[in-house]
Amino acid sequence: MIRLVGGEVRKLATTMLWLWMLLGAIAITAMFMSFVIGFDGTEGNPQPPLSTPEGQRNLFGVAGAAGVFVLILGIIAITGEFRHQTVTPTFLATPHRGRVVIAKLVTYALVGIGYGILVALFSIALALPWLSAKDIDLSLADNGIPGTIAGTIAGIAVYSVLGVGVGALIRNQIAAVVGSLVYLYVIEAFVSALPTIRDYYQYLPGGANAALTGATQPGTPLLEPWQGGLLLVAYGVVFAVAGTWFAVRRDVS
Amino acid sequence: MRAMGGRSVADESGQIVVSGLSKSFGTVKAVDNLSFTVPAGTITGFLGPNGAGKTTTLRCLLGLIGPNGGTATIGGRAYVDLPHPSATVGALLEASSFHPARSGRNHLRVYCAVNGFPDRRADEVLDLVGLSSAAKQKVKGYSMGMRQRLGLAAALLGDPKVLVLDEPANGLDPEGIAWLRRFLRRMAEEGRTILVSSHVLSEVEQTVDNVVIINRGSLVRQGSIAELAEHQGLTVVVRGPDLDPLVAALPEQAGVSRLDGSVRVTGLTTDEVGHLAFTERVELHELATERSDLEAIFFSLTGDTGPVEHFGGEGMQR
Repeated sequence: MIRLVGGEVRKLATTMLWLWMLLGAIAITAMFMSFVIGFDGTEGNPQPPLSTPEGQRNLFGVAGAAGVFVLILGIIAITGEFRHQTVTPTFLATPHRGRVVIAKLVTYALVGIGYGILVALFSIALALPWLSAKDIDLSLADNGIPGTIAGTIAGIAVYSVLGVGVGALIRNQIAAVVGSLVYLYVIEAFVSALPTIRDYYQYLPGGANAALTGATQPGTPLLEPWQGGLLLVAYGVVFAVAGTWFAVRRDVS
Repeated sequence: MRAMGGRSVADESGQIVVSGLSKSFGTVKAVDNLSFTVPAGTITGFLGPNGAGKTTTLRCLLGLIGPNGGTATIGGRAYVDLPHPSATVGALLEASSFHPARSGRNHLRVYCAVNGFPDRRADEVLDLVGLSSAAKQKVKGYSMGMRQRLGLAAALLGDPKVLVLDEPANGLDPEGIAWLRRFLRRMAEEGRTILVSSHVLSEVEQTVDNVVIINRGSLVRQGSIAELAEHQGLTVVVRGPDLDPLVAALPEQAGVSRLDGSVRVTGLTTDEVGHLAFTERVELHELATERSDLEAIFFSLTGDTGPVEHFGGEGMQR
């Protein structure tokens, strides 16, 4: 299994995809955090002000948006093999296909943690000078901020695993990527906004991630962070198990 | 790495046995109760027209496709049960199963890592297929021939004693095909078992010891090249201004094809054909025997009239 994980790391390291996805993750973090800081205190902004502990947690929580890039990275980890037919040599080298999927889950959990740490470091590097320039006191050790940052890292890591699960289930790369984006940004946004059904949003992957990162959604109930984290892991495992189940049975031709 | 060469031909561990193999896709029977054996240490051509079921058979053998019935084993084991598949069997399937943005060398190093082979093995096999100069180039810049060579390099990573190659000559120029022939010969001399598929007999004719010919998913003939020519026997070439009455009078079992105004008959002797021409009062300008070339045998066995029909333009096989 260590050899298989080594192979997966090498696959990732020998194309530029990891770098583009990392830049994307950092760019979306920069954009969301800039909105939060830039519009802080403006009239009609429903976000909690940055002078409050809640507002500071929210600021670091929005970095969880970077999860979408590791989700795509995880999806491509599997769908890319089918797209470029490298799945043939992969399954020839490891005919027990479940082991391939497990190796990818392990690899991308680790990769996701790495991305999460980099995104968290970037969010701190962006927030500290900017808030100090705005004369807002910020202590990284207080106001529950360590928990939020840990939750953000965990959320990004689990999204990576979730991506591998989705890719195993939906082998078509475009369908898997577009489907996931439409789901996250259209369907879940719809569910979280519609008063009659938004109580269920907390049980969906996006809602679980929001709970984990502590990003506030005014008016929408969320689970406790640890519950959200467990739920998100459960989603990832269910997708991966289902995907593996099918991968083992499907012909590769 | 195990040293190459010096393996015993009697070693059964490289034997490929396909037994009663069947696979359907929907209502299409791609492979239908197919059985054949590839003896260890031989090089066997796996022949048949496009769509005959060659690729499906090879993918079943390699555990990529689950058959509906029957078995396919290498050294007595199904592929998934091999303890070290990459060190036992090397396979080349699609013409391109590489990430376009990854270099050839890195592609191989991925599978070195997965299989626990040392990384220098990647450079060794690149050298073996003559691709060292393009090792660090991205695969998207490779020609078709270079991709085939990279595929062969990947198959050789584990120094396997069995090679399964699906249409390795596809997309190669004549020089590349000549290279491939020399390469396969060298691999065979090292004692490997090689199963190489092709839809063109002439590509492998000079290279293989044995042939397995299939058509529509079923075995047509298995044997050595010499046996194949022997069994099919002689071809009688008949020439004359109007041969239609003669062709019409030939018995059912005779194989008939037309080429440039002549008729080629298999399954009958010159005496029998000459007698028929006499009784049908057909004017003959030539009546001769010719050892049929393998290509013609191949076409007659697979029911594909092939180039004979295309070049002759006028007739069809009866």
